[in-house]
Amino acid sequence: MLFFNQFDIILMLIGVDKMNIIEIKDLSFSYVENSPVLRDVNLTIKKGEWVSVLGHNGSGKSTLSKLIIGLLKADKGDIIVDGITLTEDTVHEVRKKIGIVFQNPDNQFVGVTVEDDIAFGMENLCFDRVEMLERIDEYAKKVNMFEYLKKEPHNLSGGQKQRVAIAGILAMKTDIIIFDEATSMLDPIGRDKIMEYIKEINDSGVTVISITHDMKEAVNSDKIIVLKDGQVLASGDTNDILNDKATLNASNLELLLPLKLLYKLEESGLNKPELKDLLWRLSLNK
Amino acid sequence: MAIKFEQVSYEYIGVDGSSYKAINDINLDISDKHEFITLIGETGSGKSTLVQHMNALVKPSSGTVSIYGIKVYKDVRKKAKNVKLNPLREKVGLVFQFPEYQLFEETVLKDIIFGPRNFGVSLEEATKRAKDIINLVGLDESYLERSPFNLSGGEKKRVSIAGILAMEPDILVLDEPTSGLDPKGRDALLELFTSINKTLGKTVIIITHDMNTVYKYATRVLVMKKGSLVFDGDPIDLFTNQAIDQWNLDLPDLLEITRQLEAHLNVKFNKLPRSIDELFELVKGVL
Repeated sequence: MLFFNQFDIILMLIGVDKMNIIEIKDLSFSYVENSPVLRDVNLTIKKGEWVSVLGHNGSGKSTLSKLIIGLLKADKGDIIVDGITLTEDTVHEVRKKIGIVFQNPDNQFVGVTVEDDIAFGMENLCFDRVEMLERIDEYAKKVNMFEYLKKEPHNLSGGQKQRVAIAGILAMKTDIIIFDEATSMLDPIGRDKIMEYIKEINDSGVTVISITHDMKEAVNSDKIIVLKDGQVLASGDTNDILNDKATLNASNLELLLPLKLLYKLEESGLNKPELKDLLWRLSLNK
Repeated sequence: MAIKFEQVSYEYIGVDGSSYKAINDINLDISDKHEFITLIGETGSGKSTLVQHMNALVKPSSGTVSIYGIKVYKDVRKKAKNVKLNPLREKVGLVFQFPEYQLFEETVLKDIIFGPRNFGVSLEEATKRAKDIINLVGLDESYLERSPFNLSGGEKKRVSIAGILAMEPDILVLDEPTSGLDPKGRDALLELFTSINKTLGKTVIIITHDMNTVYKYATRVLVMKKGSLVFDGDPIDLFTNQAIDQWNLDLPDLLEITRQLEAHLNVKFNKLPRSIDELFELVKGVL
């Protein structure tokens, strides 16, 4: 009996450790009748994972993220976030757990100043004022927009707006953050900084879902899900998908340049293990 | 010169009366023949503000922009009442960031012909142009009768670019046209700009953060930093001779990998590869 109890506890611990924070079951959605954007999508995302969602334009990536936060209503199927099945009654509870940064920051600007905008998400979650002010400063500094706090958002550039939108969502400290092409308008160094920062919050336990076309961004994630025409074409460890030429090609994506070179060398019989290591390291940005 | 900037500055004024210079003392010449220019630089460096001066959408706070001989300066409409700026917008077509949000008509066809119809092109001619152009942007004619609102982001982007192309501008300016497109869609669009540049002989100016695009396509590159134009020249010169870190830029993938391979193999290749095939040949040569 004692043994049984311990076993139970171990099972529980394993269960907690590998808990699915998002489960999607048989999800289908269409904007217009008879032309489904998503068809019978099944996937799970574990707590603390960093998952990249890749796919061609129109493959259903952004629609999927809007369904997860309840901006759209599924035709069929279930979305379960941290144990809560998403319905009209639970949508507010679910949104407290998920922050989303959209591709076009203009879609999420409401405030008169940058400061108001960063505060907006926190205000909705009824944060304490003192803590809110602290976080505004902290996150504005993290995305390098501190000196713009009193400025009007409409006078900012596209990339600056993206950084403000990111700060506003990060400041909410939700369990899950979805980045929908959130770094597409940043300069290379600015993008690298945001990527480092995403890595940091992921290391601290936040589940990250990043929708992207940028393979250099996807290499940072633990897992990659590839969508094609509204269905899951492939799902697996990042290294495996990076290597999967057929899948990438089928979804309008491309191999990273060092891997392209590696395959060309291998095809012509030039197999140098050392070079292979180097080209993989370069691919993974390490 | 088709477009000439002389000591152009532009200030934004906030509601509280504070101001900051988005661009500062810009001097720049742009020809309408065969240039493929990329405009790069950190976020907030003034790239979008600069290109909005190219068709008089925004007027300088100080200095003058001459566009096809018409001088545009502060309060030009008040000081020179007979100056017409509208025709400039037909000559210099400007595609904004997220042009897809500007689609508003019931059908793709109506959206594409909206611009040319506004400039007095007949319905028949505008429709003919739309049919040619829809193929040029990689969509087929069946799209013309569809609603723009049921298209994907990439498709909407193509339709909005088609709308500007239908005005047959001599200079095509695009503000981050490929952000948000998948790699195949991005390459298809860049090939389209290349063919507009090479076959039709038009000047194409694009704002981008993608150094691979700069290296592969541009004949000239402009770099902005904090409102100033800090580099105007050849992309190879930029990537091989300049300290690009100071401008928040990085190397194109091809050059980065080439550099790493040179260091690792302890060799110096005799030329810079322009494509993965060329890099392959270079590596093969030293193995």
